[in-house]
Amino acid sequence: MQPRDMAEQALQWMSVQGFDAAQVDVSRRQVLELNIANNEPSLMRSAEQHQLGLAGLVDGRRAATELTDLREAAVRQAVAELHAQAAMAPRDEAHAVSSGQRARIVKGDVDADEAALGPRLAGLVGELLDFRADETPSVVLQEATASHVRLSRCTLTSQGSDLALESAWHELMVFGSAREGARSSSFNWAGGAAHGIEPGSTMDHFGMADMLRALTRQLQPRGLGSKFVGTVVLTPWAVSSLLDWLLTQLGDTALIGGSSLLAGRVGQGVASPLLGVHSRFDAPGVVPWSADACVARPVQVMSRGQLLTLLPSLYGARRTGHPHCPVAATGWAIDAGETPLAGMTAGVARGALVGRLSMGQPASNGDFSGVIKNSFAIDAGAVGPALSETMISGNIGAMLAEVSAVSRERIDSGAQCLPWLRIDGLHFS
Amino acid sequence: MPIQHAETRRHELRKCRMMMIDGRLTLNQRSVDGGHSARVMCDGYWGFAAAPGEPSARTRDQALANARAMSGFGPRPGVALPGGVYRGGHSIAAAAPLTVAEATERMAALDALCRRIEPALRSVRVVLSDEYHAKHVANEAGADAHSFIHRAVCHLVVVGEGEQGQPVELWEQLSTKGGLAELDLGEAAMRPRVEQLAAHLRAKCRAVPARGGVHTVVMAPVLAGMLAHEAMGHPCEADAVLGGAVTADLLGRRVASDAVTMVDFAHTVLGQEALVPVYADDEGTPARDAVLIERGLLAGYMSDRDTARRLGLQPSGNARAYGPADEPLIRMRNTAILPGTDRLDDMIAGVDDGYLLLKTGNGQADTTTEFMFGITLGYEIRQGRIGRAIRDTTVSGTAIDMLQTVDAVSDEMAWSVAGYCGKKQPMVVSMGGPALRARLHLGGQ
Repeated sequence: MQPRDMAEQALQWMSVQGFDAAQVDVSRRQVLELNIANNEPSLMRSAEQHQLGLAGLVDGRRAATELTDLREAAVRQAVAELHAQAAMAPRDEAHAVSSGQRARIVKGDVDADEAALGPRLAGLVGELLDFRADETPSVVLQEATASHVRLSRCTLTSQGSDLALESAWHELMVFGSAREGARSSSFNWAGGAAHGIEPGSTMDHFGMADMLRALTRQLQPRGLGSKFVGTVVLTPWAVSSLLDWLLTQLGDTALIGGSSLLAGRVGQGVASPLLGVHSRFDAPGVVPWSADACVARPVQVMSRGQLLTLLPSLYGARRTGHPHCPVAATGWAIDAGETPLAGMTAGVARGALVGRLSMGQPASNGDFSGVIKNSFAIDAGAVGPALSETMISGNIGAMLAEVSAVSRERIDSGAQCLPWLRIDGLHFS
Repeated sequence: MPIQHAETRRHELRKCRMMMIDGRLTLNQRSVDGGHSARVMCDGYWGFAAAPGEPSARTRDQALANARAMSGFGPRPGVALPGGVYRGGHSIAAAAPLTVAEATERMAALDALCRRIEPALRSVRVVLSDEYHAKHVANEAGADAHSFIHRAVCHLVVVGEGEQGQPVELWEQLSTKGGLAELDLGEAAMRPRVEQLAAHLRAKCRAVPARGGVHTVVMAPVLAGMLAHEAMGHPCEADAVLGGAVTADLLGRRVASDAVTMVDFAHTVLGQEALVPVYADDEGTPARDAVLIERGLLAGYMSDRDTARRLGLQPSGNARAYGPADEPLIRMRNTAILPGTDRLDDMIAGVDDGYLLLKTGNGQADTTTEFMFGITLGYEIRQGRIGRAIRDTTVSGTAIDMLQTVDAVSDEMAWSVAGYCGKKQPMVVSMGGPALRARLHLGGQ
């Protein structure tokens, strides 16, 4: 049965069961994946996954379920059980399902020849292995994958929302470390999703080549030796940690629980005027509607450091009174800046070029400390040796305000497209 | 073309997740993911295929076709894989599952208890989760194993207000083998926990920054478990060893003080069934304990059949797949540092200037054994006494250096089965340990 037919059938059964309102999601996902283990092709994996998601309201009470057995008896039983589970939940007038949302989206090469996918993936893996052998032979690729994903999805609600997606994309991921004799670098990884990867261009994607080259320069790291207050230049992989914190502050849990530092600051400057954050829900691998079946239209979250919107779901908006802003599960970008990448470290008296931030969840007030991994010292504007066991501490909110340069260049990994950021005033230890 | 190994797996994964924020049920979600898979090694290459429903010859054929497609990368010798076969099964006894009404009632009671004990709370979040795996693994050598994992977790988050009005968050986590009904969330059990949590939160609202640098610390058992898992567990996975982890050159060498022994238990810990009992892994291999550190010396690795062959070992039965569509990877099971003979109070009293670290948010580690944990609750220790709470911080170090500084190991041990281990796939694991005293690098000013 096609996803749409399945969704319509399930929605009808939910209506008959007595739900006041309902949402049905049906997806069919086909994955072909080629794996590398320790520099060698190791495994080809194919997986076909079907899933049916049901969410229903009864007298203002809500329950949701997902199942992979799509036979009629199983679905009918799931619908009946869901009704009982919803009826036992407490009433909450903020629950609702979306209404009148419409979208028909086709992304990527959805008609790709299935027989050609395996050889295509073998070509991507071959390029990756050749690059490693020729340019970074000290790197051990502990894991790497090249995959092709084909997704059909249909979401319907009892209030007339009707969303359909046909999408296909490629994913690449590399994970490894450099090793020479007894010396070993820290591991690092890079990867992302793209609608198409042209033969010969594999290593141009997702910053993979630069990441692997950087590993070979991390075999003899050293400590900083003393505490100081300095500057960090964050690579896009480290910038991702800041973006995650920002988005958490704007989402349901922080808004409903009252722990968001930004809930009352829409329209105000909350970050450096150099910073802008916007959506990219049309990116490869992104389902461009929200979990509650609202079309995720393009949204500018921050412009010139000014916060423009919070991101509550339909429930979150009805619960808190903040304006509803539907967003996809992923798909964000930070605006490119005007500083050439080569100029990001110029003028830094003392600090570090930070590959990744390895840290616990920042405190709800933004305080954090973390180990800077895959990082290099910066002294008088020059990038120096790799660093080991170096920590920085500060406050994420303050870091966003202290951004002093944004690179022109960005790394586009599909779900995120991020620049390098220079930030002053971090405590090194 | 010769086949070196072939296995099939039928796998059902059931989950329940409920969240209450400030008395309102914001999440009431269940899922059932069922399917089957086949994996084949043919001429040195692996092929894997997964599909919904019951096992079929078509899926096995697809797995074989995938393995054969790999031969385009060049011929490889087909070498038989080591490992025995397991036949049998072990179920996990669990009480009848909680209904939505029962679970909601318990969450609401916990929310109310928190507010009675600490009326000034800004927010209370209660999250209940239940996860159940049932697997049937068979292989061509004759393995026929039925295995089950079932765990339940209650995550309680309280948010207070700091001296400048900033939100200050702290959490308590309970976990158990079995379902949500196995968690004792009654007032008699929870009151002392919530009172202690509230006292810690009040202290944390007045917390001071930790001093950055290397200090003597006493780590609570939950941190020792995390340390065992992240800092030494991952680098002792045989795929990491083959991938260049520093542990590759350290077998039989000193990596910790004599006080430290560390084991990845398969299914039984000190005479009791483990929280994640793995009698047979997802290759059908009988699982056995993997002793990783014995009295300070690196003693072994965790392996599957393929990596065991490459390293000349017997497989330890650590091949585990998270979901029905996932292939088995080397994963930990129940990883712990074993208890010693010291008393926690004495360990604290023996610190002139240092820190007591009680709760961790998450942790990461490297193949170099360099690690990091987020610390969400800690206190200063001055002249053997517990002082002011410290703000959230991070600790880091290199495990094979840091573990050699361990000079005291407590006689009490705590286990947790609350979290997920992350690799290519998530995984349910348990971790345990005693309190440890060692030298560690704290982040801070």
